[in-house]
Amino acid sequence: MVLAVLQGASELFPVSSLGHTVLVPALLHWKFDRSEPTFLAFVVALHLGTAVALVIFYRADWVRIARALVSSVARGSLSNDPDERIGWLLVAGTVPVALLGVFLEAPVRRFFGSSAIVATFLILNAFVMFAGEGLRRRQTTSVPSTAALRASAQDKLSPRTLAELSWADAIKVGFAQSAALLPGISRSGASIVAGLLLRLSHEDAARYSFLLATPVIFAASALELPKLFAPQAQAVLAQSAVGGVLAAVTAYASVAFLTRWFHSHDLRPFGWYCLIFGTLCLGLALAKVIA
Amino acid sequence: MKALALALAVIFFIIGFLYLFGILQIGASHGGRHVSHFVLFVVLGILSLVWMRFASSGASPQR
Repeated sequence: MVLAVLQGASELFPVSSLGHTVLVPALLHWKFDRSEPTFLAFVVALHLGTAVALVIFYRADWVRIARALVSSVARGSLSNDPDERIGWLLVAGTVPVALLGVFLEAPVRRFFGSSAIVATFLILNAFVMFAGEGLRRRQTTSVPSTAALRASAQDKLSPRTLAELSWADAIKVGFAQSAALLPGISRSGASIVAGLLLRLSHEDAARYSFLLATPVIFAASALELPKLFAPQAQAVLAQSAVGGVLAAVTAYASVAFLTRWFHSHDLRPFGWYCLIFGTLCLGLALAKVIA
Repeated sequence: MKALALALAVIFFIIGFLYLFGILQIGASHGGRHVSHFVLFVVLGILSLVWMRFASSGASPQR
């Protein structure tokens, strides 16, 4: 149940759920085989719960986006409808993470065994968020000296809406999201930072990040769904179901909190958390207190 | 553009089925069939067909 709450919360908070599912059990000296069918089934249920929570939270957006995409394909053309544009941007942004996820998941998995490596990536995640916020602030505070330059810079510095992103921007955010294949690097952190650097507001960057995460989490859990019904997994079906519901409730609460948080706050508190927790875990790993 | 989109769709579908039947093993962690790779390439194939549909009606990305 602790793992379910941890997954639901850390999947959406920019603190790396993968990193936490490696570091927290190591800190608590929990020993379990990650390749065991029962554990895999449990993890699939947690991811499914998180994806369902995201779909429910953004249900109005998804209905509009799905309708816009279907009518766009039926029409055979692209219109200026913002929902249609956001839908296609999400498709473009999902391609890089799907490609890299399928091809790099196995080689990256060897990092999972080392708490020191995961803690190092968590510290790196903190610096990515600090750097992103710093660059963003520099973008918005640099004022050119002459009036003409100021006027043209004003246009370049004013925040953009999601529908104003280009295809290349969508792919850049998609690649940034792929960094989360590394345990310790946060999916939402990387994609929010990429959105901020593309001049989205914190609120829009977070919304785009959560919308972009939904198909990826859904597809990843859908592909693993047979593991949930494997004969060996039947023994933990009830626990998996409860875990999935718990992860869904936690994920829903997390996304509700984060969308409010990014109205008026930034990524730095999460950066400080990752830096402190990552440094603590790295210290314990180097001192051989955790594996 | 239409021909390129169609060619890409065909290539993606072929690659997808090669992974499904375990003929293609590039980037795979184990031998045998690779359903994830198959699904990925089929989706890419479908997206290429959508691109072909847009290209044939003269619509192109604005940005």
